Amino acid sequence: MAKKTTRVPEAGGWPDAVAVPALIAGAVLTTVGFLMAFLWAAPVNGAALSAPELVGDVMVTHQQLISQKIFYFHMPVAIVSFVALAFGAYYGIRFLMTREQRFDTCSRVAMEIALLFVVLTMITGDLWTRFEWGVWWTWEPRLTTYLILMLIAIAYFVLRNAVDDPERRATYAGVVSVIALVDVPVCFMITRLIPSSIHPVVAREGGMSPDMAATVFVVLAGMMLVGYGLYRLRFREARLGERLQALKDMLE
Amino acid sequence: MPRVAPSTFSQYRTLLAKDLRQEFRTREMLTSMGIYALLVIIVYGAALALTAHGVDIVHMGGGLLWVLIVFTSLLGLARSFAREKEQGCMEGVLLVPLDRSVVFLAKATSNILFMLAVEVIAVPLFYFFFMTSEPAAPTLPFIVAPLLVGTVGMAGIGTMLSTITSNTRSADVMLAVLFIPLIYPLLYACVTATTAAIAGTEFWTDFFVMPLVLACGYDVVMLLVCWVLYDFVVSA
Amino acid sequence: MNPILADIYSTVIPSAPYLIAAYALVWAALLVYVIIVVRGLKKTEAQMAVLEEAVRAKGGD
Repeated sequence: MAKKTTRVPEAGGWPDAVAVPALIAGAVLTTVGFLMAFLWAAPVNGAALSAPELVGDVMVTHQQLISQKIFYFHMPVAIVSFVALAFGAYYGIRFLMTREQRFDTCSRVAMEIALLFVVLTMITGDLWTRFEWGVWWTWEPRLTTYLILMLIAIAYFVLRNAVDDPERRATYAGVVSVIALVDVPVCFMITRLIPSSIHPVVAREGGMSPDMAATVFVVLAGMMLVGYGLYRLRFREARLGERLQALKDMLE
Repeated sequence: MPRVAPSTFSQYRTLLAKDLRQEFRTREMLTSMGIYALLVIIVYGAALALTAHGVDIVHMGGGLLWVLIVFTSLLGLARSFAREKEQGCMEGVLLVPLDRSVVFLAKATSNILFMLAVEVIAVPLFYFFFMTSEPAAPTLPFIVAPLLVGTVGMAGIGTMLSTITSNTRSADVMLAVLFIPLIYPLLYACVTATTAAIAGTEFWTDFFVMPLVLACGYDVVMLLVCWVLYDFVVSA
Repeated sequence: MNPILADIYSTVIPSAPYLIAAYALVWAALLVYVIIVVRGLKKTEAQMAVLEEAVRAKGGD
């Protein structure tokens, strides 16, 4: 009997003890970021005014846009979803290499988190474009890429449901997660690099002032913690369910 | 007398020849794909019925053509694997001690050839039905390039995905659900390049060269990934 | 109000609903997920307890 030397992730232990504090810390950080976004970071300039006006002690020459504040949550959430996809693919690869069913569980939970955060990206992105451009949807590079990511994540779960054998299901899921990880940056680059009339490249965030960057970082850190906490929580639930099932099978 | 294992290339050639020979004997897949392409064109006829001279067919033609190709490929890819599975062909092939990636290459090549064969029929047909109202731009022959690059990419990913989905419930839908999001970037690049070639306006190379290069990049990356991962999939 | 000042802040009120909706939906979605996971955990733990009872009963006789 081959000696199992691969260390397999398990529920319980220090990551789970850290999970709930991480969630709370993440919630606190995102709230701080939220307040920073509204009270500290400078608003973004919109259309030019007909004449400059003195507000407070600053000379203002443009309309001040407040809808751009959605961006402070939109970008971090998008980044977290991509990181979650990367973890899903990482665990998928580890499963393919070691055939340990546990890695498949990790991969599945990571993809769930990715799907959750992609939905958040779509919500924030959609509401932003609705106000900025006046339409409910534009085929711009980022939104399109995240729509594709969402479709791939949904396809991942549909695929998992359609295969009955656990070993096969894990193999196929692992392969699809790796293909997805490669496809998403390619999609982003292609939609961004091809000059087009219907895909406006939102050039506004070329160049972020330091206070904007700081706010984004704070919210990003918070969202990462939230994502991590949710991942551990869900993983604990998945592991408990698996152990339960194994016990039931043993008793019969 | 020591037996020399057949080289990878001859294995590849044998597998490819098997697929092609089977197709030549029955011509089953080519005819069904060809008829399907014609049917899609007829649906286009109904869809564009009220547009008559209002539709800018020069700019829409590229997109419509690629829709045709995508759906016909879905049909062809699903059928090519279903047939293998029905006749237990795959298990036989896997009994031979060969590198699984060769199976991928052979299958992908046969799919490329079938899709190209269908395109040879479908593209002139599409032109005949919809595009003779405008004089052909001198850059029209250039559509061969994106057609080729796009077909290679779609066949590559499609072969991998059809291997996966042939073992699932509701295989055809599953293939479509996985295939379309994954080839979206390739499709987008190829449609842009094809439309540029069809329109043939002043600065058409802007919209032609870059997308083509990107599509080639997509092909290389995705085919590499599928090549590497095929072993896991086919042994499952 | 000075018309230029009014122009500066002219986009605030129309965009407020979208802004509020975006943030509210984000919080709501995250909260919903947490609730789903915690409920699933509670249910599984309850089943675990039932199973332990069954094992103890089986070991008893």
